Amino acid sequence: MPTGPVLLKVTASRILALVSLVLLVGMMPRLSGRGAEYTILRARYSDREPTPEALAAVRAELGLEQGPVAMFLSWMGGVFTGDLGTSWISNAPVGPGITAALSVSVTLMGFATAVAALIAILTCTPAVVDGLRQRRRPASGALSAALTSLPEFLLAAMLLVVGAIWLRWFPPFGWKGVEYAVLPALSLGIPAGGLIGLLLSDAVRAAFAEQWVATWRMAHAGSAQLTVAVLRRALPAVLPQVGLVLIGLTGGAVAVEKVYSIPGLGRALLGAASAQDIPTLQAGMLVLMGLALLVGTLTTAARFVLLGPAVRFGTLPLSEAPRSGNRRHLAVPAVAGLALLLMIGAGLLRDPFTSTHARLAAPTFTLPFGADASGRDLLARVAHGALGTLGTALLVVLACLVIGIAVGLFPLAATGPLEVTNAAPPILAGLVVAALAGPSAHGAALAVAAVSWAPLAAHTAALAQEARAQPYVQVLPVLGVGKARIMLRYILPAVARPILRHAMLRLPGVALALAALGFLGLGPQQPSAEWGLILAEGIGYVERAPWAVLAPASALVLASVLAVGLAGAPRALALERKHDSNGVIQEPRRASR
Amino acid sequence: MSTRAIEGLGRTRSTGMDPGALTADGISFAYPAHRFRNSGPTNTLHNISLSLSPGTSTALVGNSGSGKSTLVRILLALEKPTSGTVTFGSRDVQSGPVRSLRWYRQSVQYIPQNPAGSLDPRMTVSQLLKEPLRQLRVDGNHQALVAEALDRVEVPAGLTERRPGELSGGQNQRVAIARALVVQPTFLLADEPVSGLDLPLRDTVLSLLDSLVQGEGLGLLLVTHDLGTAARMCHTTAVLSAGRIVEQGPTGQVLENPASPAAIALVQASASLQLPSHVPAGAL
Repeated sequence: MPTGPVLLKVTASRILALVSLVLLVGMMPRLSGRGAEYTILRARYSDREPTPEALAAVRAELGLEQGPVAMFLSWMGGVFTGDLGTSWISNAPVGPGITAALSVSVTLMGFATAVAALIAILTCTPAVVDGLRQRRRPASGALSAALTSLPEFLLAAMLLVVGAIWLRWFPPFGWKGVEYAVLPALSLGIPAGGLIGLLLSDAVRAAFAEQWVATWRMAHAGSAQLTVAVLRRALPAVLPQVGLVLIGLTGGAVAVEKVYSIPGLGRALLGAASAQDIPTLQAGMLVLMGLALLVGTLTTAARFVLLGPAVRFGTLPLSEAPRSGNRRHLAVPAVAGLALLLMIGAGLLRDPFTSTHARLAAPTFTLPFGADASGRDLLARVAHGALGTLGTALLVVLACLVIGIAVGLFPLAATGPLEVTNAAPPILAGLVVAALAGPSAHGAALAVAAVSWAPLAAHTAALAQEARAQPYVQVLPVLGVGKARIMLRYILPAVARPILRHAMLRLPGVALALAALGFLGLGPQQPSAEWGLILAEGIGYVERAPWAVLAPASALVLASVLAVGLAGAPRALALERKHDSNGVIQEPRRASR
Repeated sequence: MSTRAIEGLGRTRSTGMDPGALTADGISFAYPAHRFRNSGPTNTLHNISLSLSPGTSTALVGNSGSGKSTLVRILLALEKPTSGTVTFGSRDVQSGPVRSLRWYRQSVQYIPQNPAGSLDPRMTVSQLLKEPLRQLRVDGNHQALVAEALDRVEVPAGLTERRPGELSGGQNQRVAIARALVVQPTFLLADEPVSGLDLPLRDTVLSLLDSLVQGEGLGLLLVTHDLGTAARMCHTTAVLSAGRIVEQGPTGQVLENPASPAAIALVQASASLQLPSHVPAGAL
């Protein structure tokens, strides 16, 4: 295939995706449901009756009466002159508030990035040491991977209990000095740094295994020299992921800022979304998009600097980070899954809605997880919440499956949307949907689905490319088989089964994203027994009744262990099969004994 | 040329016309230049003319990279030549959408490298053979045509509901050839059909192709890098080197008195080569 048109298509697709994202943000006032003027009327003029005239006046004042094009253009014009609009709720300019919140958030993210860098260095040090000492060991275990992949809102809640309530080392709420930044920075930095560190140490191990390292050793290259060279080789492969992780911090920051009551951008957006203050949300989204673009550009630039002209021609084979190929690593997620099943099984027969116990009753033998602030059985609520959360997650996964396959079969045109959705944290999507349609279980599902199809689409695209290269597909044009039929009758059956498996493995991860939205109040509302919601209710009483947090948190931890374990599983199983059939690469297993 | 030996099959082509020759006239081809990738070896063709007739077999030999496969792709109208034309009978063949080429694909079929690999593992033998019949809108009783094609390649009728994974390697090769034959083509283009096979299987496939040419009057273009195969199978041989036909004529003459340096090198390189007149049948 000639490169020119491909590059053109990809670039066009990227530009189109960015433009449509800006359009989406610019059109938000128009997209927001019919109830916008009611909300504003109630917020601003609580004395006025919602008569048609009053509502029309509000609509005119908000500029909802202009045509879509005029509205978008006036908003764009404002953005270019530094006018981010006027809040629908407070009637004050949005700009100053957003700027102040942004400075808080950027400070927090700076701290978080520092923590992440530290953790990443600590995580990949063993890989470098092993490499220098010429030991071959398998990549890090599933348990550490799982712990570093806890969702931020959960880690924040747990660190709050441990660091601020039990140990009393740090203040639990607020933003008044450096000590206030420690726990939030840890909550954001540990998962991000852990993930980057794991990816990097895998890449480092792969680089140490390459031929040139042996040649350098023969030439008596020093340890420092070798380390620098190996890092230089390993980093470029990881940088795109690092960019995504850093962009993902913006989503995690929303939850962390809520938990620790930090007056940052995330909390401002959350407030704006629940109050339907569209101009504030627009401004925040614009700022976040700029931030994401900046991070993406910086990581791409860093890659160019490290690789030099090689990246431009794609001549350098990038060492793909190999994940550990070991069936034993499935033991941890299996145990987690079993514990989760046990919990659900035990709680399903109990009543999650009636207040039959004392408020915040402590755990006893008959009430294993204690009771919540309304005296409801927490075990029952967590179990029923599992069904609700996992059920919704299943629907989301199926929707992602359909979108992913449809998009993945036409990968070139989809590059831009794929990159954008891949980078967009589900929490931000949830903010937008909740602001437009009000918080609801459907909205949360829609938001998570909107950004979760990208990995499935990418996988489909890779498999479809593989299938297209098969001789039995290449021969089809000669047999008179048209393009549509090739796609539906030949490519689709070839990709369907592995993609279905992949989609099912994403189920716990999607459930966690839904719980994050529920936790932020962007998902299902009371009295629904949804995990995130139960955690959010409990967190207010964390000092008096830690079990109100521990019950949902432990369920979520189990789900994350399951999620991470399963996310690595297809790779691990595939590797294992390959090893078994070749009978060659048995090293990981031997070494891990 | 209309004396195709198909009486035994009890059927004549629905067109009833003389199918005529498959001709390539002045074909040149170059991949479009682009700046983004370092250019490797480009398979270009220069002013190639070749004519195939029913009932004869032609070998196309040359080193890898000489442009053999590109030429076959152009003859199959999968690739558009930069200049020159492909004609079948009196009609021009233009690459284009599936619909506009159904007539051509019914007459000119293809056996790819490693034919068995060209069978979708998810389909049964009967589905595999019916696919071209349906897609090329072939008239007649498809069931009977499938049975007939399988009979021609000596695959037992009891295997029609099996999938490629449930057949032996040799049976799969035969099924792939039957799929090319099922639309009753006049010409077969075979792109190194035996290069990936072990020797006994190679012999079976070549014998089968030979009997189709000798017994049923098909025209065969056999792409090969093995001069022994060319010597055994083909009436005429064309030697392709760096995108040009440097030698073309009766096989014996080309192999005995190669004139061009490329052909001489090929002949010398085939140390085991023996010319057809000295070779007992089936020794190669």
